[in-house]
Amino acid sequence: MASTKQFKNIGEDLWKSRTDKINAELFTMAYGSLVVQLIQDYEDYAEVNKQLEKMGYNIGTRLIEDFLARSSLGRCADFREVGEVVAKVGFKSFLNITPSVVHHPAPGSGTGTAQPAGATPRSSLLPSQNAAIQAQTHSAPGAFFVLTLDENPLAEFVELPESALPTVGADSTPTGGLWYSNILCGVLRGALEMVQMQCEVVFLSDVLRGDESTDIRVKLVRYLEEEVPVGDD
Amino acid sequence: MSEKERIALRAVAYISPQNYPMLVKSFGTKQEDELKYHYIAHTALDVIEERINSNPKAVECFLGMLYVLEDVAVYGYITPTRVKIVAAIDQTDEFIKDADIILLFKALHGAYHDALQDPFLQGPSSQGLRTEDLAQMMGRDDKWKGLRRLLDKVALAASRHIPTPSG
Repeated sequence: MASTKQFKNIGEDLWKSRTDKINAELFTMAYGSLVVQLIQDYEDYAEVNKQLEKMGYNIGTRLIEDFLARSSLGRCADFREVGEVVAKVGFKSFLNITPSVVHHPAPGSGTGTAQPAGATPRSSLLPSQNAAIQAQTHSAPGAFFVLTLDENPLAEFVELPESALPTVGADSTPTGGLWYSNILCGVLRGALEMVQMQCEVVFLSDVLRGDESTDIRVKLVRYLEEEVPVGDD
Repeated sequence: MSEKERIALRAVAYISPQNYPMLVKSFGTKQEDELKYHYIAHTALDVIEERINSNPKAVECFLGMLYVLEDVAVYGYITPTRVKIVAAIDQTDEFIKDADIILLFKALHGAYHDALQDPFLQGPSSQGLRTEDLAQMMGRDDKWKGLRRLLDKVALAASRHIPTPSG
């Protein structure tokens, strides 16, 4: 399993070797006008969040091909490694940012710290072997990692209008509101689904909404074993 | 030894192509002085109109010093989209180079341009005054929050040492 430093270097190299980069302002403005247009069309922030996620999903399913082709990384050994690759190689090579990542093993999957001796090689495993490994590492369904973005190129200079901020519900938890960068959640969900991982990807907090940091949680729901991909609805 | 030139920026006004004020921001002054800068912006507008009309072919963005009032010198700048920026600077004994003022205006123009990147902000439209603009002018709606923050940074930088190129 490649170390964190190696992933960082791979990410760096991928970013540098890309010859077709886009002007940052153009990118920010394109995404901004997309969000504003969606708001005008749907007039409901929950719906806009859903649409952004859907769009991201379509992007992610295609983006993963590009990523795998360029990075020539093999299969990840466990979900923990998935988190590392997403943060240090994925985000770096496409957006030139490196979110920090915190891993959480699935509840009840043991300490999760001990890896079996002769730990998994990169080549793909039979489902039965997979299950055994899953039980022992950070790969049980329910495991998740949290990405913290300290900069977000999609949201440079954006100020959310009052109406887009969450309201405090009856049980004094914030509800509703716009997740401005929700397209990222879709991208991650789509990309991971194409490598046989069904994940739930949501924003936990966003500085645009007045929170301290911008956090995305990626939780593994289950592995997809040789299924025909579900069609888009 | 070149003298440290600090530009004490007192106020900035952004005026739309249709000649209504978009934002008047003063720095660190008392409440009563706020009105004074509105007056300054309006007077400056007249001078700018005069200058533009007398020289329609001018390509320069920087309009130079417009006039002096009490203790402030007022400079003007017009952007390619005909947004006018008016800056009121404390008049000191030291002579402030035009080059430094131009740098300041570039920063002010840049701040405006950065604030415009917010997709939720409707900048000045070509169709003239809209109801949202009126609400903004009457202070009910602060859409220029981002720009105000950037302008504070510009004023802070200007008030510190500004290195002038030697020689």
